[in-house]
Amino acid sequence: MPERINYWGIPHSWGEPELYVYAIMFLAAAIMLLQFYRQASLWWKVGRPESRWDKLHIRLGRLIQYAIVQTKVLRQRYPGIMHAAIAWSYFVFFLGTALATVHDHFFEFLHGNTLIVYKFTLDLFTIFFLIGAGMAFYRRYAEKPEKLTLDKGFTWTLWMVTIIVLGGLFTESLRLAVERPDWGAWSVAGWLLARLWISTGATETTLTNWHLGVWVFHLLSVALTLVTLPTGTLLHALTGPLNAFFSELDRPMGALAPAAETAEGEPIFASKLSDLTWKQLLDGDACTECGRCQDACPAFNAGTPLSPKQFILSLRDSLHHNGSKPKLAGEAIPEDVLWACTTCGACVYECPVLIEHIDTIVDLRRYLVIEGMVDAELQTALTNLGRYGNSFGKSERMRAKWSKGMEPKVKNANKERVEYLWFVGDYASYSPTLTEITKQTAEVFQQIGLDFGIMYKGENHAGNDVRRVGEEGLFEMLVEKNIKAMSKADYQAIVTTDPHSYNTLKNEYPANGGHPVLHYTELLDQLIASGKLKFSKKLGYKVTYHDPCYLGRYNGIYDAPRRVIEATGCEIVEMPRNKDCALCCGAGGGRIWMEEGEIKERPSESRIREAAALENVTDFIVACPKDVTMYSDAVKTVGAEESVVVKDLIELVYEAL
Amino acid sequence: MANIVAIVKMVPDLVEELEINDEGTGLDRDWLRLIINEFDNHAIEQAILLKEREGGEVTVIAPETEGVEDMLFTTAAKGADRMIKLAGDFEEGVNNHALAHAFAETAKNHQPDLILTGVQANDDLDGPVGPLVAEYLGMPYIGYISGVTLEEGRAIVRKEYPGGLIGEMEVTLPAVLGIQAGEEPPRYVAISKVRQMMKTAEIAEAEISELDFSGGISAKRMYLPEAAERAEMIEGDEEEIAAKLISIFKEAGAL
Ligand code: SF4
Ligand code: SF4
Repeated sequence: MPERINYWGIPHSWGEPELYVYAIMFLAAAIMLLQFYRQASLWWKVGRPESRWDKLHIRLGRLIQYAIVQTKVLRQRYPGIMHAAIAWSYFVFFLGTALATVHDHFFEFLHGNTLIVYKFTLDLFTIFFLIGAGMAFYRRYAEKPEKLTLDKGFTWTLWMVTIIVLGGLFTESLRLAVERPDWGAWSVAGWLLARLWISTGATETTLTNWHLGVWVFHLLSVALTLVTLPTGTLLHALTGPLNAFFSELDRPMGALAPAAETAEGEPIFASKLSDLTWKQLLDGDACTECGRCQDACPAFNAGTPLSPKQFILSLRDSLHHNGSKPKLAGEAIPEDVLWACTTCGACVYECPVLIEHIDTIVDLRRYLVIEGMVDAELQTALTNLGRYGNSFGKSERMRAKWSKGMEPKVKNANKERVEYLWFVGDYASYSPTLTEITKQTAEVFQQIGLDFGIMYKGENHAGNDVRRVGEEGLFEMLVEKNIKAMSKADYQAIVTTDPHSYNTLKNEYPANGGHPVLHYTELLDQLIASGKLKFSKKLGYKVTYHDPCYLGRYNGIYDAPRRVIEATGCEIVEMPRNKDCALCCGAGGGRIWMEEGEIKERPSESRIREAAALENVTDFIVACPKDVTMYSDAVKTVGAEESVVVKDLIELVYEAL
Repeated sequence: MANIVAIVKMVPDLVEELEINDEGTGLDRDWLRLIINEFDNHAIEQAILLKEREGGEVTVIAPETEGVEDMLFTTAAKGADRMIKLAGDFEEGVNNHALAHAFAETAKNHQPDLILTGVQANDDLDGPVGPLVAEYLGMPYIGYISGVTLEEGRAIVRKEYPGGLIGEMEVTLPAVLGIQAGEEPPRYVAISKVRQMMKTAEIAEAEISELDFSGGISAKRMYLPEAAERAEMIEGDEEEIAAKLISIFKEAGAL
C-alpha cells in the first residue's frame, strides 16, 4: 500500500529534521510578521480611525470572492489565468503542506488511495503553476505591457515563487527516481522528471545526495521568501486580502461619504496623510501595481497627468519613503492630477483588490476647494451654482423656458399632484443645443399619457458633480433646496434623463418617502413591458449604445436602455468597450466645468473613433444629456460626420411612436 | 499695518430681465435681484491681498439692501475683519451722492489709510462713488487701478489707460482708489466657509444721518431701448428676389 515517508532521505545524523525545519520556518515567520507589523502599524499610527469590523460574514464573503476565487483578477483573460494559476497553486501547496503536518503529528491518513489523490492533486497544480509562471515570464520579459511595473522587485518575486515550486518538484522527482514505487506515475510531473534522472544512470546514492542538496535549497528558499515578503512586491498577498476584507460596505458605489469631522465636529479637509483614514492608507499598500486601473482610465489615456495607479502608489510612497512630503494635495499629488479625474469609476471597478481611488481623490479635492485652489472656469460654474442653482449662470426663472409654447402646458409639480416628478437637470433645461431633445422627451411623455410634471424654478442642480468636485457645502445647500421643493410636490416616483442627477437622487439624497428614482430608460422599459408603450414603426437602424458611467458602472443599468432601443426596431452592435467596460465621455466629476488642459486625445474622441469603426453602424445612441453635447462635438472634431450621428435614445422612441 | 476700508454696493443682477417702474423714472425695484458690483468685488480682493501681504485690517462697508448680508459673510470668509452695513432707506435705490455721504461719514470713523472701491458700477447715474467720497473726505482719488503697493505714508499704484498704456504713480495716504481689477481675480470661497461665518461672524450696523441727495441727478424718464423696425428678409429664388427688390426700390422712389 502507498505510504508517506516523513523526511525521506534526510539524514538523522543532524538531529531530528523536524526540529530544524520548524526552527527555521518559525524564525522566518517571526521575522516576516515583525516586518509586516512595522509596515502595517503605520496605517493606524498615521491614519485616522474608522471602524470596519462590522458585518463580518459579508467581509469574509468578499475575502473569499476577491482574494481566493479572485473574480476581479479573472476579468481579464491572460493576466487572469496567469495569476490564478500561480495563486491557486500556492493555495493548494499550502493546504498540502498543512495536511502533511497534520498527518505527521496528529492524525495519519495519507496512505493508500488518499495518498494517491493527494499526490496527484499536488502534481496537477504544479503543472498548472508552471503554465502560469511561464505566462508571467513571457509577459515580463517579452510582452512588457505599459501598465505593468517592470521593477526588479516583481522579477525577484516571480523567480522566487518559481524556484520554490521547482525545488519541491525536483525533491519529489529525485525521491521517486530512487524509490520507484509502482504508483509513482500518479505524481505526474514528478514521475516525468524522475524518468529523466533514471535515464542518466546515476546511482541511488548520487540521487539521494542530490535530493538532500535540493531539499535544503528548497527549505532555505521558502524561508528567504517569507522573510522578504513584507518589504517586497509579494506584500500584496497579505494586504490585498485585507483590503478586500475591509472594503466599503455601508454605501453603494454611487454614494460618497460626507467630509469627515474631528471629535469637536470640525470638518476635516484632507491635505496630508494623517487626514486620511487607516483604510485609505491600506489602499496604498494593497496596490499590486497591476495597472488595470490605469489601462481603463480615460484621464490617463487622454494624456492628462493622472494615472490612478500612480495616484495610489504616491500614497504608499508618502507613507513609507517620502517623509519630506507629508503634504499630499498640491505637493506629493499635484493639483492637476487631482482635477483630471472624471470620477468615471473604471479604476474602482477594475481594481482586483477593491481599492477606493475616488473617495481619496474627492477627499483631497475638498481640501483644494476650501483653499480656493480652483481654476477660473470651475470657479465661475460653482459661483453660478451657488447663486442661481445652475452652472449656466442663468436665472432660475428661465429653467423651464424650453417648455414655452408646449400644448398642453407641462404641469407644475409644485402646484398639482402628478404621478411622475420629472427632474429635468441643468443641461437638459438650459443648454440651447438640447432644447429640442428635452421637448421631444416631454412630447413622448405626453403622447404615452404619462401623468408628469416638473418643478420649474423650484428645481436646482442636483449636485452630483458638485459633490465630486469637492464642494461639499454647496452640495448640501443644493440638496436642501431641492428637498424643500420636492417636499412641496405630491408625486409617486421621480424620473430623470440625467444619469448624474439620477445617481445622487437615488444614492445620496435623504430617503424621500420611499419614492423610487427612475432613469427614463428604466421607465420606458417598464412601460414597454406592461404594454403601455407601443411603437407603430420599426426603425431598422443599426446603432451602437454608449453606457453612461453613472447609469452603468455606478448603478448597474445596462439592459433597460438596450431593451428600449431594440423595441424601436433597431439592431444594437456593441462597441468593444461596452457595459461595465464602457469608456467615459470625459465630462463627469465636474470636468465639464473645468479648463481642459493639455491632452493627447479627448476621451469622447476616442469613443467616437471606436464607434465609427463598427461596420454599417449609423447612429451613436446616448442616454445622458451631457453625452449629446460631448459626442456631438467629438463627431465634428474627429470628422466622423459621414459615419455616425449622435442621437439621444428618446429620439429613437419619438420616431418609432 | 494699514487700515483698509472697502466701500461696496449691491447692483442689479443683469441675469434677470430689467423692468421699468410705473412712473417710468427708474428700475422697478420689486423685480430686481441684486448682486455685488463686480468692480467692488475686485476692490475687496485687492484689500484682502494687501492685508495678507502687508498686514493690517480690512473693514467692508455696504448699504443695507437685499442680499447684503450674504455678500458680507462671503467677504468675512475671504478674510475681512469687520463688516458694516449702513442702516438706512436704501432699498428704493439712492443716488451716488447720497450714498457717498453715507460712506464718507462711516468710513471716517475708522481712520482709514486707504479706501478701496470699484471704479464704477452698472447703476451709476451720477458718476462713480469713489471720487465723491474722496471729495467729501478731502482725500486724493485715483481711478482705474489694477495694482497697489503700500509704503510708509504712501501708495504706489498701477493705473491702466486705454490702448494698453500703464502708468505707475504715487499717492499720499490716506487716499481713495477706484479699482478696475485686483492683482488677482476674486477668490472662490467654499459655501461651507460662508455658512461657518454666518454662524460666527457679526455684521455691525452703522447709523447714518439723513440721506443727502444734493448734487445728484434725478432721472426724468427711464425706458428700455425701443426696438428699431425689423429688417425684412426677402425670400424666394433669384427671379423672385430680383422682382421684389425692384418693386421695393420703386416704392422708395429710387427707381
Ligand atoms: S475615476 Fe475614472 S478618470 Fe478618475 S482615476 Fe478612476 S478611471 Fe481615471
Ligand atoms: S490600484 Fe488596483 S487596479 Fe490599480 S494598479 Fe493598484 S491593484 Fe491594480
